[in-house]
Amino acid sequence: MDVRAQLVMVFNLDKCLGCHTCSIACKNIWTDRKGAEYMWWNNVETKPGAGYPKFWEDQKRYKGGWVLKGNKLKLRAFSKLSTLLNIFYQPHMPKLEDYYHPWTYDYAKLYESPEESDQPVAEPISLISGEKIDIEFGPNWDDDLGGSPLYAEEDVNLDERRIVTNFGSIFMFYLPRICNHCLNPACVAACPQRAIYKRGEDGIVLVDQNTCRGWRFCVTACPYKKVYYNWNTGKSEKCIFCYPRTETAQANACAHSCVGRIRYVGVVLYDADRIEDALKVKDEELVEAQRKIILDPRDEMVRRAAKENGIPDSWLEAALKSPAYALIKEYELALPLHPEFRTMPMTFYIPPLSPVLAVHRAIHDVEEHEEVPDKDLLRVPVRYLSKLFSGGNERVVTEALERLVALRKYMRARNVGENPDEDSLRKAGLDAESAERLYRLLTIASYNERYAIPTLHREYLDVASSEERKGGKGFGISIGPRGGL
Amino acid sequence: MLDTLIFVVLPYAAIALALFVTPYRYFKNRLDWSAFSTQFLERRKLYWGSIPWHYGIVIVLAGHLIGFLFPSAVQSVLSNFSLLIALESIALSLGLLALVGSVILLIRRTSGIVRAVTSYSDWIVLLLVLNQAITGVYMGVFARWGMEWYLHTAVPWLYSLLTLNPQIGYVSELPLVFKLHVAGAFLILAVLPFTKFVHFLFLPLDFLKDPPLLYRWASRREKKVVIGETKKI
Repeated sequence: MDVRAQLVMVFNLDKCLGCHTCSIACKNIWTDRKGAEYMWWNNVETKPGAGYPKFWEDQKRYKGGWVLKGNKLKLRAFSKLSTLLNIFYQPHMPKLEDYYHPWTYDYAKLYESPEESDQPVAEPISLISGEKIDIEFGPNWDDDLGGSPLYAEEDVNLDERRIVTNFGSIFMFYLPRICNHCLNPACVAACPQRAIYKRGEDGIVLVDQNTCRGWRFCVTACPYKKVYYNWNTGKSEKCIFCYPRTETAQANACAHSCVGRIRYVGVVLYDADRIEDALKVKDEELVEAQRKIILDPRDEMVRRAAKENGIPDSWLEAALKSPAYALIKEYELALPLHPEFRTMPMTFYIPPLSPVLAVHRAIHDVEEHEEVPDKDLLRVPVRYLSKLFSGGNERVVTEALERLVALRKYMRARNVGENPDEDSLRKAGLDAESAERLYRLLTIASYNERYAIPTLHREYLDVASSEERKGGKGFGISIGPRGGL
Repeated sequence: MLDTLIFVVLPYAAIALALFVTPYRYFKNRLDWSAFSTQFLERRKLYWGSIPWHYGIVIVLAGHLIGFLFPSAVQSVLSNFSLLIALESIALSLGLLALVGSVILLIRRTSGIVRAVTSYSDWIVLLLVLNQAITGVYMGVFARWGMEWYLHTAVPWLYSLLTLNPQIGYVSELPLVFKLHVAGAFLILAVLPFTKFVHFLFLPLDFLKDPPLLYRWASRREKKVVIGETKKI
């Protein structure tokens, strides 16, 4: 047993209202720079939809992630030899237009324009070339258009197109995405320069800006398309899990700013020795295999092994309080995004029930019945959810939904003074006590309950290199990045 | 006078710049060491430019190096006339490939979004490589058997440079196009530390032997960089 710790984020999709506050918080802190205009380390997509960059889930197009060939895990896009042969040109990499062409408006024109009979107009100009452009696509171009055939049909997870053309059965929900800080990161494996690494202490995956040479294999390899190429610095960048904040026990900017309070961050212990075996199973078994390597922080043996591995007591303490552990393992509510890409992603999603009061084929019946509908009546098809969150395993999705429905029914009955039905609660694997705890966690949990983040131990900090970096601005901001003549 | 400049002053100055400025830049600031790919912004022309250029030039350059490092072995190989013809034809076609590639790369820089992100150093880099391709191909066509005479002119002169006893007599009688080729080559070496030419100093090979996953531990001082030490996935 090789126990390691990882900071994990959980998203409660039931509560995401698609306000993009997280994206803006992230943008303002990290990617408000030349070359990074088009990057959204945190983005929120409307599902069903093509996403950002367009069609990122379609690995026939982008060749991201791993595949299981026989008994071996291989990168889908490149072997080592073909990495060298393709170093002069990346055949599968997304281009700028697959994200969008970043723009601003020529506001100066509003002031400089001479007196005319018409109002002057601030025309859109490219943030890259400064030339006038026509805006044809942008981030969240399809925001809230999950019900429209035009955009929803482009979703690769949607095998039943009829669903989006039939008004009665359309549905949508939001999917906020950051880097998954995977346990088997394809970007790390694909980098020929070895510039991307996983931090041993907290599992955060980072691009070393000093080592990166801009070969861009990571951009292709990441199946979530969460590594971005900065055309200005000539290097790759990605979500850094706000490590300067988490190191000091603050929540990530996206999580901290979340209006719907849908995000949870906590420590999860896992067994690094069993990662490989857990990935060599069928698509449908991946979620359960991943759950198995997540370890119980109360288990004495785990604690002993963790201490031997140098995991500090404060981190074990935090693991006990971890909302992430509770939601992923104890209550088995949170599921990984596209486990079939086999990177073993370490952010998790509680599948959405909503809209609870507008069920499939019977939009207003529920109100008449004064009840929370059965999971079979829910508007978001389980099959669709299973394609997103469980490699096609409908059972694990159903179990999570059932638990949520049972919890809702139970709490509703308590609130309106009816006899709460503990039987169905038990059938869903909960009891009165756990229902109370889960209810609190999913609704009124305070900041410290939602974010149980331990500080990074100061004695681990590399003092020499932090001195070196003092005054530096990172990401090549302080230096003209084009370099040279 | 011009010969002395091209065959003595320029080479030594270029070598000095490459030898001393490159490590300085490496240790001072590596945040701008990159191949500065623009494929993200424009890929169609890049495909037809970058691939022919690189595959052509890498092999041709390797030929130059082999001739320089093992002149006598190469000499004995080239004494077989049909082999000489074959190798020379291959080299010329690779040279043409590089020429076509560099022209496309240059044209690509003149318009659209790529032009907007092009700096002076990009122009210098492209004009220098274009000069090498043009003069190289020209010699391949009009000064035949270059492989052969390279061994008796340029190679001994290069060795004389290395032994700090420059003998420009080996090369001073050669035509102007050769001098342009040599001057271009050493100009490339001279600007190497100042431009994105540095990208050919870091051909990545370490990953070939590494296991795929790379961890870095701040808490494990004795081995700060640990590459997939437990899992070889």
